[in-house]
Amino acid sequence: MRTDRTSQTDRELWQSLTTGQDVASTAVSDLDFAAWLEGRLSETESARIEAAVAGDPDMRRGALELAEILGKPLPAAPARMAVRAQALVGFKVERQASQPGVVAGLLQMVGALAAPRAVMATLSVLVAVSGFMVGGGLGESYAHEKYVTKVASLATSGDNSNELTAFFSTDGL
Amino acid sequence: MTELNQIDLRELAAGNKRAWDRFVAASTPLINAVVRRTLATYRLSEDDVMDAAQDVYVRLCANDFRLLKTYDPARAGISTWLAVVARSSAVDHARRRRQAMTPIDDVPETALAVEDRHVEKIKVPDGLLTERQTLILRYLYDEERDVAEIASLLKIDAQTVRSTHHKALLRLREHFRQESN
Repeated sequence: MRTDRTSQTDRELWQSLTTGQDVASTAVSDLDFAAWLEGRLSETESARIEAAVAGDPDMRRGALELAEILGKPLPAAPARMAVRAQALVGFKVERQASQPGVVAGLLQMVGALAAPRAVMATLSVLVAVSGFMVGGGLGESYAHEKYVTKVASLATSGDNSNELTAFFSTDGL
Repeated sequence: MTELNQIDLRELAAGNKRAWDRFVAASTPLINAVVRRTLATYRLSEDDVMDAAQDVYVRLCANDFRLLKTYDPARAGISTWLAVVARSSAVDHARRRRQAMTPIDDVPETALAVEDRHVEKIKVPDGLLTERQTLILRYLYDEERDVAEIASLLKIDAQTVRSTHHKALLRLREHFRQESN
């Protein structure tokens, strides 16, 4: 069937050509798209971008919106937008404290391992000394040892009572 | 205030705090404008605008400023590149928000699939129209934009847009006249 296209308007002609069949679009990098927006690309490079833009409604809208924004003076942004964004990056000293260098990191690791042992050693000494003091100290210990020895020796001899009395009286026990 | 093109990019990419603060101060008007314009069609709240803008900066400094380090000043101006990055980021944010706000049971399974970027194919033989001719026809008839807007976008004068439009239509009409013969 012949179709007389000469009577069609330009728009009707164009719209009659759209099939609605989809194919995947060519990926365009942000940098290439930016370069195209600025008119910096060669004819060949531009052709590739323009084919992608022509085929993608979102890219077409995006291109026009960005061109409009970039060509105008911009209003100020809300102050907290900058405050939030600036907080994303800290000062180097703070970052280094949380992320130590190699040597500092090794020292930290050694310290981390040594610290509990040093603490345990100190605690052990404290416990030992405390127990010693509670038990009466060195004098008590010596006297106790002497008593045990004496009792042991008296137990082996015949007459115990006088010697035991004398022993206790001299030692004040 | 420091202009964007005055920022020391090496210091910035090295994570210098002061450089970052100056960069943020210089770029927030642009990022704010792009994000707001992009999200306008999605009808999201002011909090979403703020979050979307923050997303842009997170992208820029994430992974030791990896994205920022891809910027090449020889290819494009930093303002234009930032605007493109901001728009991409805002679109991604809007899509995530739209999915988050819709109950999962109400979303058809096909919509949950990875989104492909598809184009509309036209019944014109390859090579009949140049890419620029196709683009201008798209803007004029599909987007219903005026000649001045298209000229401004393509950095050409309005007469060149009209001339390109006219030549493209002549080619199309000639082609289909021959086909019908």
